[in-house]
Amino acid sequence: MAVPGASLVPILLLGLGTCLAASPSPKGVECILFNEEYMTCTWGSGQTLTANYSLYYWYENKLPVVECQQYLWDRSVRIGCRFEQSEIIQFQAFYVRVNASCNGQTLEIPSNRMELQNLVKPEAPVNLTIHNMSGNQLQLTWSSPYPKEQCLEHVVKYKSNKDTSWTNQEVKGVIFSFPSVDYEKYYTFYVRSKINNYCGNTQLWSEWSVPVFWGNNSTSKGSSGPERPRSPRRPRSVLTVSPRLVAGVAEEQLQWFWIHTVLIPIASCLLLLVLVVLLVRMERVWVIIMPRIPNPSKNFDDLFITHNGDFQVRWLPWLTTPLSWWQLPTPLTPLCPSRNGSESLKMLWRVSSPTTVKASAT
Amino acid sequence: MERMIIFCMLFFCFSMVLTATSPKAMKYKQLSKTIDHLKDVVKDKDVELLHTPENPGDGCLLTAVTCFQNGILKLQPRNSQVNATFAKTVKILRRPFLPVSEEHCESSCESYERKKPQEFLNSFSKLMQKLFKNSTAERYGKSTI
Repeated sequence: MAVPGASLVPILLLGLGTCLAASPSPKGVECILFNEEYMTCTWGSGQTLTANYSLYYWYENKLPVVECQQYLWDRSVRIGCRFEQSEIIQFQAFYVRVNASCNGQTLEIPSNRMELQNLVKPEAPVNLTIHNMSGNQLQLTWSSPYPKEQCLEHVVKYKSNKDTSWTNQEVKGVIFSFPSVDYEKYYTFYVRSKINNYCGNTQLWSEWSVPVFWGNNSTSKGSSGPERPRSPRRPRSVLTVSPRLVAGVAEEQLQWFWIHTVLIPIASCLLLLVLVVLLVRMERVWVIIMPRIPNPSKNFDDLFITHNGDFQVRWLPWLTTPLSWWQLPTPLTPLCPSRNGSESLKMLWRVSSPTTVKASAT
Repeated sequence: MERMIIFCMLFFCFSMVLTATSPKAMKYKQLSKTIDHLKDVVKDKDVELLHTPENPGDGCLLTAVTCFQNGILKLQPRNSQVNATFAKTVKILRRPFLPVSEEHCESSCESYERKKPQEFLNSFSKLMQKLFKNSTAERYGKSTI
């Protein structure tokens, strides 16, 4: 983060005495938040600075100007300040002022207005693992020490022992797939991360991760170099990368995304349906959920057959217990004989209240 | 047997609810993308300057969002060819997306400085970044915001 007044500093320093004039001016205050755990603001190195520096900082609208609690030293010169997590506030304008004093004279070096969410440098990804998938596919996965994975974007850098240059591929999630495999090559993979545009405007990439290797190294000689030692413990499966396949990786990721958002919900709905069907077939439970309305029509089958459908049924008056209306289907209309004899049975039932029953009985 | 089935169903339903991704985070992500689209089609020269909330505190979020949404009405498309994109993005950004709540904010919309449309939209974008970052799930429970 270059200080806007950096060009003025050499002119000002000239007037300040020998110790300051002898040392080159500090290049400006540079602040970096390491993995959002702590922050360091530095203004130079012990080799070039000889004055007595002190740092003061404040946030806009939160005015007590505070001095740095923990300075960083190099050859008995203060070269920076370390801020703990409790002293860091993001999405608030942050200002820093460095005072350089020497022989009783002081120079103030102001800094730019900074917003700390734009100065976050995540830690390098860890646990790089290669999985051998079906159909000669290979999948590289990793995890990040940064707590919010949704705020990160990653870049995978890879090269085979037959390639001359590295290939970079941007990745949004923590999975990177190669569609095909070549058993003749030996590959090296590196991954690094950055805060994406949804959480900040940074250009600070993390350091490259520890590399992971894959493939058959027995034929490579000379061109392999120190970064590709053999790792015999790793299972052997090699992949070929061509520009077409690199483009195919983005499609691969899209497919994986669709599997997660479409296939899994459909599978869970089917499972739910199976459970519902099983429940329906359990009549003991079904009767409790959906109680049956009693239908005494079956009781009259014999009568119907005997009299060929030509009979009437009346409710007898000795029924005095008050019943709920849905338990009392009262036939008040005569049964109609069907034209085809016993083939179809038509019955008209009318449900009435207990008071109506009593009235008609008397 | 039937008890087990009922229990399985209930368990299943609850787990579906719990594993559903946070809709809030997706909402802010979508709004961020929409603001980026709008930046490409908005007119920046010879236009009215707009009150731009800058880094509102937690007690002023609703006021700031309302201020941004009102300011968007005063924007104009860069040319007639981008009218459709402009209208679509403005419609999305005008929809209310924060729950209505009592808020006692010391700064009103008019108290903020007036800025050009690009800076206005940059600040709006920054507010979406803050809301998104706050709403994403944390693994270790730490927060520096």
